[in-house]
Amino acid sequence: MFSRIGYILRETAANLTRNLTLTIASLLTVVVSLSFVGFVFLIQDAVANQLFEWKDGVEVSIFMSADASQDQIDAVQRDLDQSTLVKSNGVRFVNKDEARQEIKQLFPNTPEIVDITKAEDVPTSFRIKPSSTESSVISAITNQFNKRPGVILVRSADQAIAFIRKISSFARWGLGVGAVSLLAAAVLLIWNTIRTAMFARRREIEVMKLVGATNWFIRWPFIIEGMVQGLFGAMVACVIVWVGKNLWRSKVIGSFGSSLSFDNLQATASQFRGVMLLLLAIGALAGGFASAIASSRFLDV
Amino acid sequence: MIKLDNVTKVYNNEVLALRDASFEVAKGEFVFLVGTSGSGKSTLLRLINREESPEKGDVWVAGARINNLSSKDVPKLRRKMGNVFQDYKLLLNKTVFENVAFALEVIGSPKHVIRQQVPAILELVGLAGKQERFPNQLSGGEQQRVSIARAFVNRPLILLADEPTGNLDPATGEGIMRLLDRINKTGTTVVMATHDRTIVNMMRRRVIELDRGIIIRDQARGVYE
Repeated sequence: MFSRIGYILRETAANLTRNLTLTIASLLTVVVSLSFVGFVFLIQDAVANQLFEWKDGVEVSIFMSADASQDQIDAVQRDLDQSTLVKSNGVRFVNKDEARQEIKQLFPNTPEIVDITKAEDVPTSFRIKPSSTESSVISAITNQFNKRPGVILVRSADQAIAFIRKISSFARWGLGVGAVSLLAAAVLLIWNTIRTAMFARRREIEVMKLVGATNWFIRWPFIIEGMVQGLFGAMVACVIVWVGKNLWRSKVIGSFGSSLSFDNLQATASQFRGVMLLLLAIGALAGGFASAIASSRFLDV
Repeated sequence: MIKLDNVTKVYNNEVLALRDASFEVAKGEFVFLVGTSGSGKSTLLRLINREESPEKGDVWVAGARINNLSSKDVPKLRRKMGNVFQDYKLLLNKTVFENVAFALEVIGSPKHVIRQQVPAILELVGLAGKQERFPNQLSGGEQQRVSIARAFVNRPLILLADEPTGNLDPATGEGIMRLLDRINKTGTTVVMATHDRTIVNMMRRRVIELDRGIIIRDQARGVYE
């Protein structure tokens, strides 16, 4: 048994170095395609994390015109308190002073803006937590209140979320299609590498068959060779994805500080570990699959 | 040991390689298959080796019918047989020792068996002291001896030889025949395809003659013609 394992490992190593250019070509293809796959999953996780955070805090703002009468404001307040579309205790009124404070916070570096804004001009508003973040609920609220006397605008983060979703699914599709086609190319390249390796050793294989080696004994070194190519490519892809993730964190997320609350637009450590494991598994499986097919096709007794 | 029963082999549905061939070879026999090129000698050997399957009839080897042996069971059959070829089929990047050891290695023999068996068999075929040479550093006769050593190292029941002296001069060929004779005397059945008239006439063993796929003569202690 030991001599057999030794034999298989020796042969695998010899095969990998014999066809160096082909090996490198299939390896690089594995690296690029699995990097894509890795980024697809990380983007998906990051966007899901960010949306989860946002969804919890989705607010609908109803802005009252600056000259809305107290009666109009009270009427809106009453309807909101009774609405089933609104969470109980989910209504907060922002008066003119609070509104000015918000403007100050939004433009900390340009106090002139605050200075030229007179308290009377600043609209008051209601901040509402909807009973659900379904877009149907949010648009129902919008429709109910945007025509009310005294109301100038109803806004929600709903559209911003939809926009982020669209961008991320666009990126996911683009990268996903690229990843799948590159993965197919990688499988074909590994398949071709194994086929070439078997052709280069056809005499040996012929002799092996004649002296009674089993097909599996002949096949194993080639299958392991394919798996090693896939696995090694996956490892390099893991490094690339890891570097990419860290650059994203330091150069993009980090540069905004925490003021914009994009903190969650990244994968968590455990999600990242999962993606790494997935890449390694895909690499090994794709390589093993390609070489198993190749080595069976060319091993007819 | 070997039995063919009305065996017919057709290649690609048109080339008739063997028609209704029947014969039996007992354990320990030495049989020459003679005939011109294309008469079906090699096809016969390939059928016995289960490299081909017959269209009709049965092939029996060592008591088992092997016509439709599943590919899983072919290795077991091959381990009962040794093969020697006209062109030796040695692996040029391996030494003499490694070439012979290869046959044991790939059937999973442990290292200590290999270390013990290989030098013994090389001694038997007269190549002691040339273990570390590569095939290209050997004469044709010596290369054929390596090939015979590789075929015989796991003590097969049957040795199949396809024109083993075809590439050798008469004197060297005679040496190879003496070696095959010695192997035969250990109880190994030998089936050898040849069109080397001198050798057949010298050895005076059973001769099966083929002509265009048909057995036209089966003679004990026969000559070439």
